[in-house]
Amino acid sequence: MNTLNRRSFLELSTKLCAVMGLAASAIPRLAEAAEELASGNAPVLWLQGQSCSGCSISLLDAEAISPVQLITRYINLSFHQTLSTTTGQQAVETVNKIISAGGYILIVEGAVPAGMPKACTFGGEAFGEQLIRAAQKAKAVIAVGSCAAFGGIPGAENNPTGAVSVPQYLKDQHISTPTILTPGCPCHPDWLLGTVTYLLKLGMPPLDELGRPKAFYSRLVHDQCPRFADYERERFARTFGDEGCLFKLGCLGPITHTDCSVRPWNSGVNSCIRAGAPCIGCGGEQFAARAGMAFITKKRAAEKQG
Amino acid sequence: MSKTIEISPVTRIEGHLAIKVEVENGKVAKAYIAGEMFRGFEKILRGRDPLDAQHITQRICGVCPVEHGMASIQAQEMAYQLTPAPNGVLARNLLQAANFMMSHITHFYLLSSPDFVDVAMIADYTGSDPALVALRNWVKAQLSSNSVVPGGPFLPRYAAEYLKDADANFTMLRHYLEALEMRALAHRMGAIFAGKLPHAATLVPGGITEKVTALKLSEFRSGLDTLRDFIDQSYLPDVVAVAKAFPDYFTVGKGCGNFMSYGVFPVSAGSATKLFPAGILLDGKLQPVNVEAITEDVGSSRYSSGSGLGPYAGETVAAPDKAGAYSWLKAPRYNGQVMEVGPLARLIVGSQEGQNAALTSAVDALLKDLGRQPGDLNSVLGRHAARALECKFIIDQCAQWLDQAVPDEATFTDFSIPESGRGYGLTEAARGALGHWIDISDFKIRNYQCVVPTTWNCSPRDDRGVPGTIEQSLVGLPIADAQNPIEAVRVVRSFDPCLACAVH
Repeated sequence: MNTLNRRSFLELSTKLCAVMGLAASAIPRLAEAAEELASGNAPVLWLQGQSCSGCSISLLDAEAISPVQLITRYINLSFHQTLSTTTGQQAVETVNKIISAGGYILIVEGAVPAGMPKACTFGGEAFGEQLIRAAQKAKAVIAVGSCAAFGGIPGAENNPTGAVSVPQYLKDQHISTPTILTPGCPCHPDWLLGTVTYLLKLGMPPLDELGRPKAFYSRLVHDQCPRFADYERERFARTFGDEGCLFKLGCLGPITHTDCSVRPWNSGVNSCIRAGAPCIGCGGEQFAARAGMAFITKKRAAEKQG
Repeated sequence: MSKTIEISPVTRIEGHLAIKVEVENGKVAKAYIAGEMFRGFEKILRGRDPLDAQHITQRICGVCPVEHGMASIQAQEMAYQLTPAPNGVLARNLLQAANFMMSHITHFYLLSSPDFVDVAMIADYTGSDPALVALRNWVKAQLSSNSVVPGGPFLPRYAAEYLKDADANFTMLRHYLEALEMRALAHRMGAIFAGKLPHAATLVPGGITEKVTALKLSEFRSGLDTLRDFIDQSYLPDVVAVAKAFPDYFTVGKGCGNFMSYGVFPVSAGSATKLFPAGILLDGKLQPVNVEAITEDVGSSRYSSGSGLGPYAGETVAAPDKAGAYSWLKAPRYNGQVMEVGPLARLIVGSQEGQNAALTSAVDALLKDLGRQPGDLNSVLGRHAARALECKFIIDQCAQWLDQAVPDEATFTDFSIPESGRGYGLTEAARGALGHWIDISDFKIRNYQCVVPTTWNCSPRDDRGVPGTIEQSLVGLPIADAQNPIEAVRVVRSFDPCLACAVH
């Protein structure tokens, strides 16, 4: 019952290959995937825990595959709290129907308040309970964004809710549904789109030891940094707005595994380091984790004190 | 005879919101509105380096991060006694303005329009617009498929009266698709100075880390032209079309009647004149904002910390099982009074005599066009109209800032962090008055409090039992069908609630 011709599929698939960095030889297979998906066979259930909705907002900024294309040609977005027309009791029933049918991709945005279940509820049910039900019946789970992937700010030191990441929570609950992490604060739309579409057709993408798709998270920000030559020549920015490498302003590019340096944001308009802002490691495992670990500034403040 | 209707969750808002209304004789007699998600940002911020604050607090909300970043760096600038570089101020204004437009367009089309537009009518489309043809074919295919949720995320929906006119529906649906592109464009424009969005990388006390170049200004201006066309030719006419098709919504959703704006968008760097001026409209009288008058009650909120405290002394100690508490939001009050904040508040405060004359005449023109009285603005449709009208003003102001910015001049003024100090930053988010309060001791954050737009609007009852403005706005609302209470969600969504913000 698909409504697209073969040529449109090929065009979309070419875009997808560009996003994933795949060889052109994958295009026919991906085109087939798009056709399969258009028949409504790829339900996606999107749940939000302790989140800011930033990863959803980021996905709406996608260009490689537009949000409309994604929803009408790639997946059946069966429920999303910010986008779904359904509301109230009808929304609860819709989600429950999806869960009992099973076989969907579960995308989770936000952390889980494991130590204070009432800190996040959906239709009166603790989010943690809902997540257990939903993850058990999912084909795979994608923990989108740093809160879901690593705990992020809700799970940072001194947090009052005992918030943990999605994989940690599922492990503690002995749920073994395959789980992929696409961290980032927010997650870059390409990272999520590339992962979802790969998963739907080709199966599990190659993952690193933390469960992140290698296609996006295998290199350090620093290694592909537009200011790398400044680093090599030891030309360091001394304050904001200066030319040069931002390392001495506390840039966390040397310990952060994302491909932002070669995959700028908002349709390629800009990126943090290009805009003179030191990397704060928002896609990293330790993002915001400890109160004593300032992003940019500890060095600056300390220098000023000295 | 009384009946309780719970709408939990309320979707198509940001975050986790539930409402409960008690209906008597077909009308709401009492309403309770609850924030259902808590993270504890204010506790997490304690002990951190002050410069972490603009990064951490932006993550309160993925829809309005820029505004949190702005409130945070302005609070720090007060604490550091720092005047930001003029070019930096202009770039920050452009960035914040872009985020406002992203937010307003997202709110009207993605979050609100499905309450009015009859999406199912697309199945009858016989025109030749390629995007609508594709949408029709998709909907038809979905409806005949074995999908668990055919037509998701646009279906299912409440059984209710939607727009009847087919062409009006097709136009709105076409604009829904365009709105997706326009909101992304607004974000791209913001990212020119933000590094990326959501969660701007470049905001720092003293200005911005990004440079202002002739090319960047041109890039922004180009986007502005496209957005202006969309606002003028789609957004404003669509709001008018909805207003004319659903005139009853000028008479429901009336809030507390007190309005507050902290003021936002200096018309030039260093200017005290704001595009949307500050002020409080209390009992119909305009007065200046007195920061000392802001307190937060927690009698109905899930906190065991002190009630009625000002933000510098504010505390956030979670008590999830507290008896009598029904929300994770605190109840902010101004001199003990309930306030409405947001685009309507900005418009009403800003159009008072002696504020911004251009706003006054725009409001008059809009009311004339719609054939309504000033009192009708305090309503569901008044809020939608205020949001659209605001976009128009912001676009014109952006053009002026682009002219004022000086390419290649500094965007940042250097500073040092004092051992101790405190400050507050007041700005406006798309959703209304936003304040951050920072208290620094031993070079670290000793206390940090945020009083956020939706905390005002979605406020639960205060310690005297007075309901918040949305709770008040639901009282008296007729609900025709308890199974499909669309009237209630239309009212609540008109405030554009953001619950991640409100609780934080």
